[in-house]
Amino acid sequence: MAIKKIKTLYDVICPFCGTLCDDVEVDIAENKVVEVRNACQIGTKKFFSSNPSEHRYETPMIRKKGKLEPASWEEAIDKAADILTKAKRPLLYGFSSTECEAQSKGVELAEMLGGILDNTASVCHGPSLLAKQDVGQPGSTLGEFKNRADLVIFWGSNPVHAHPRHLGRYSEFVRGYFRKDGRNDRTIVVVDPRNTHTAQIADLYIQVKPNEDYELLNAIRALLRGVELDVEEVSGVPMDQIKELVNTLKTCNFGVIFFGMGLTQSLSHHRNIDAAICLTRELNDHTKFLITPMRGHYNVAGANQVFSWNTGYAYSIDFSKGYPRYNPGEFSAVEVLIKNQIDASLIVASDPASNFPAASARNLFKYPLIVIDPHETPTSANADIVLPAAIAGIEAEGTAYRMDNVPLRLRKVKDAPGESISDKEILEKLIEKVKEKRGE
Amino acid sequence: MSLDDVILLTGRTIDQGVALEGGKTTMENVRAAAICAFDSDDFKKLDTLVGTPVKIITEYGEVIVHSTISEEGPHPGIIFIPMGPWANQVVNPDSQSCGTPTFKGMKAKVEVVKSGKVLNALDLINTLKEA
Repeated sequence: MAIKKIKTLYDVICPFCGTLCDDVEVDIAENKVVEVRNACQIGTKKFFSSNPSEHRYETPMIRKKGKLEPASWEEAIDKAADILTKAKRPLLYGFSSTECEAQSKGVELAEMLGGILDNTASVCHGPSLLAKQDVGQPGSTLGEFKNRADLVIFWGSNPVHAHPRHLGRYSEFVRGYFRKDGRNDRTIVVVDPRNTHTAQIADLYIQVKPNEDYELLNAIRALLRGVELDVEEVSGVPMDQIKELVNTLKTCNFGVIFFGMGLTQSLSHHRNIDAAICLTRELNDHTKFLITPMRGHYNVAGANQVFSWNTGYAYSIDFSKGYPRYNPGEFSAVEVLIKNQIDASLIVASDPASNFPAASARNLFKYPLIVIDPHETPTSANADIVLPAAIAGIEAEGTAYRMDNVPLRLRKVKDAPGESISDKEILEKLIEKVKEKRGE
Repeated sequence: MSLDDVILLTGRTIDQGVALEGGKTTMENVRAAAICAFDSDDFKKLDTLVGTPVKIITEYGEVIVHSTISEEGPHPGIIFIPMGPWANQVVNPDSQSCGTPTFKGMKAKVEVVKSGKVLNALDLINTLKEA
């Protein structure tokens, strides 16, 4: 048997979660991923899933007589541009699992079409962005936390499952410049309704009732100001434990709150984050304290950056009046779908059929649906046109923003299979075709 | 054989993350995300075996998933379905005008349906199309 020539690439950036681990090693043989080192279980799977499989699209597909059939790029782009130019209010959604250069092209296309432009922040950390716009956000890069933090709080966030290497790289076990003994030099607190795997390795676990984080945050703020609360418990947490937590918060040298979907997707949404940020600000009267959202998709932070510098707004943007308008309660992808206010959609690197509540997902299928994706998903399987994409960060270069808004350059480690091209090139083709159809 | 007053939470699990990267239309994804994790004492009240299909009913819809016992307990009164199409049949789509649906904290009921069929992701989404 012939020995395959293996090429090893070092310091590859993992395009899965917002931690953007930058120390991954990938072995490539005959344009296939054969080994991945240093990445977590999910990141490793993502690299391997770039290899050709029955779930991977390799040519453009067009629905003919109810079935997706292979087609040429020319025909697929022509039909897609036709759908988009005829639509009065197309939805352009996704963009968080692709590179910034493609996101920028998405903004350009949405503006040309007068459509709705949204990224996946609208179903995850959108409320965090709203709160940040209201009250600011004292944050920092992850390196500061690694080197300095002696108190780390995970509130409504379960990094053992969602950001598996965050604990080892930045927040819990890692040795830092001033935290030379790693885990032993840090106190870990977890606030969550479930005794999560992250909570099970914490020093203090606070079991808060679902949907009652807002009350607990404000009880802590009151105690911090010296107000006595005449109750035995708040949000299911005994007063003694809250007092212990307040004391821990006040007496640390450098604290950080990492918060997740437990705050943004519960009742009160952005008000929870408002309260958490105000608490962080007030803690700075006693010690140094910062707060950072645990971003999910690897480049959702980049989507917020790119949309902001192009339009002034981070997500949920409406171009129907010819200029960008921002109102997530009205223009988020979920809201416009629930209210049935679109007449076509272009989904880029996302799967809203799986990820949106049923009441909104069902309206996605009522109108022409174009999907740019490397893999078969419940969204793409129901699309009218599928445009096969190279996977950004594995088969295409580009820029991505880490959860702390540090831009990193994604690498290309192998060629995309079949006729797949990058998201950016696909969007450029669409823009050209739309211009051509309009006689521009 | 039923629970009438529990709170449903949804969220990421590492198995669900691995499964979706491996293929959203695979059986691996069904095994990882079409499940409901119960507190062990709550599960005893259902008087059934782990893996038995259960119907989760909320104000917003219903879905049949496999039952399992939570590794992240105890959390009496709370049930957990990993994020994904199954969870999304029963979450609260209302965003309180902030654009982000309320994926966590719905009141729910649970019924054991021994003969219930857990649909794969594509069949589940097809029921939405047909509705």
